[in-house]
Amino acid sequence: MMSSNVLVEVNDLHKVYPSGTHALKGVSLNVYEGEFLVVIGLSGSGKTTLLKCINRLEEPTAGTVKFLGKDITHIKGKELREVRTQIGMVFQQFNLIKRMNVLNNVLAGKLGYMKTLPSILGNFPPQCIEEAMKNLDIVGIREYAYERADKLSGGQQQRVAIARSLMQSPKLLLADEPVASLDPATSNSIMQYFEKVNKELGVTVVCNLHFLSLVRRYASRVIALKSGEIVFEGLPHEIDEAWFKKIYGEEAEEVEIR
Amino acid sequence: MLEPELEIHPKEKILRKKKNQEKIDLVKAILLDIFFVFYSILVLQRAIYFKVILDLRELPFAWSEIVLILFISAIIGTIWGYSRTSLGTKIMGLSRETKFAKLSAEIFAWTLFNLTFIAGWLVTKISLIDLFSSEGIEGANRIFHALFTPEFGIFDDALFAIIETIYLALIATLLSIPPTLVLSFLTARNLMKDNVIAFSIYYILRIVLNFVRSIEPLIWAIIFSVWVGIGPYAGMIALLVHTIAANAKLYSEAIESIEEGPVDAIEATGANKLQVIWYAVVPQIVLPFLSFTIYRWDINVRMATVIGLVGGGGIGTMLMQYQGLAQWHEVGLIVIMIAIVVWIMDYISAKIREAIY
Ligand SMILES: Nc1ncnc2c1ncn2[C@@H]1O[C@H](COP(=O)(O)OP(=O)(O)OP(=O)(O)O)[C@@H](O)[C@H]1O
Ligand SMILES: [Mg+2]
Repeated sequence: MMSSNVLVEVNDLHKVYPSGTHALKGVSLNVYEGEFLVVIGLSGSGKTTLLKCINRLEEPTAGTVKFLGKDITHIKGKELREVRTQIGMVFQQFNLIKRMNVLNNVLAGKLGYMKTLPSILGNFPPQCIEEAMKNLDIVGIREYAYERADKLSGGQQQRVAIARSLMQSPKLLLADEPVASLDPATSNSIMQYFEKVNKELGVTVVCNLHFLSLVRRYASRVIALKSGEIVFEGLPHEIDEAWFKKIYGEEAEEVEIR
Repeated sequence: MLEPELEIHPKEKILRKKKNQEKIDLVKAILLDIFFVFYSILVLQRAIYFKVILDLRELPFAWSEIVLILFISAIIGTIWGYSRTSLGTKIMGLSRETKFAKLSAEIFAWTLFNLTFIAGWLVTKISLIDLFSSEGIEGANRIFHALFTPEFGIFDDALFAIIETIYLALIATLLSIPPTLVLSFLTARNLMKDNVIAFSIYYILRIVLNFVRSIEPLIWAIIFSVWVGIGPYAGMIALLVHTIAANAKLYSEAIESIEEGPVDAIEATGANKLQVIWYAVVPQIVLPFLSFTIYRWDINVRMATVIGLVGGGGIGTMLMQYQGLAQWHEVGLIVIMIAIVVWIMDYISAKIREAIY
């Protein structure tokens, strides 16, 4: 069900951090509407940096990033915030506001659409709250709406984070190793929510992952990064032993997780 | 367009930087050594030779002599530092790995420490004779005796004065909160590094706050009692000013040490700066802020007492008056009351801080 509409177009992207680390060295790729693109690669290969350059939590050093045909490489202020509202992001550490309840955490996903004063006063319109409850339903944790976020388990917190990003009605969902701090069973259930968001809500997903078994199961396309460069681009089943060694190094051996 | 710059190999760049850094460090080390040598010669000559050996009362002073010592130190320090066996090079991590280098640095460090201690001893005129002279002990006896036989006739006045002190401290603490909040956000590096204007504001405010903080509340009280007149108002403003500067630093450090994750997450939703601060920063700093503020109230009660000594009002001023009249039994009552109040405040503030965490 891959359409050929390009959602994100990354061209010859470089990122050099102030510390001097050259994290991305000329990455070019397209993200197509509706796909479930998985990015793999060793620790430090630049996966997080790539995602952060797409929603511009980081500013690229050279090259271009286009979102829906618009060059967003160096945009700022209101223009940048408008683009960000259309791109959800989920993190390895969940990054919820610990001292707030689940509902308010989810509502925070609407901030980009709200005026400053009402949002700071917590004055969300009733339809926002309804929408938040609906999104909590999608990830199956409506009954926790009034719990404090840090009382929840890791898997539940990640579901809250997904619900928060759904509040943005995103065209694109970025997920940075969303299951890396969860156990295998919980990982699978979280990945199923991403699948649901992708298939049923039609949200394009770009997801960084570590385990190849998850990649084979959920990805519609795979990109592998190695020290800031793309070394593989193809379908999940094309990653055989040889490719695996090339991506992860000669000594690497595949670990199974189901 | 940025291609050519990217072509410089990062490793090459780092190597060059390292070499440069080493040169700068060596210069720093030599300057340190010169200072150390200069300092020890000065102490040796002025404190030990003039004062102890020659037992001079008035120390002779001549700029030409100082310059000569500086010149000698410069030569010794440079040679010593350049040989990489000195204390300065040790401190900068540049010294040789030999036994001699290690020994030379350590012995010199010990010498410096001992010289400083001796000089300190001489400057403070430490004298066991004064401490245990019969005259001195008699005076102390008088005060201690009075402390344990307090005069309760002034209890009403003292109570009123000490309440004034507590309120003074409370008002200073409460009034400090709004300006401290604003200043702490403006002096938190992680919130102000985005653009040049924000960073300049950050930088200037930091300097001003450091300056204000480095002046003790006691000095501020003297300044304000000249400015607005002697009394509680001057004491309150003095405490207020110092509290703002001191707490702004603590608050902004709390802001700088928040978890970055939630900030990223809220920024990613397209939220603006104020929304990010309100949702991702504020919830993380509420508790530390409360805790600092309550602790500061406790500190301010103690400071208010001291400030009273220079006319800042409250119990301190009263203490000063009775002490000036040598009415030791009244002084005794006041001292006891201060001790009790400070102890209670300390206890309450510790309990409250425990409860909110
Ligand atoms: N904010 C930063 N400042 C400086 N260097 C950074 C920063 N973030 C990442 N780096 C460096 O950039 C390189 C790529 O990091 P990145 O986080 O993109 O890798 P990753 O593939 O996500 O790794 P991991 O699997 O460990 O999350 C690393 O060498 C890292 O040390
Ligand atoms: Mg990462």
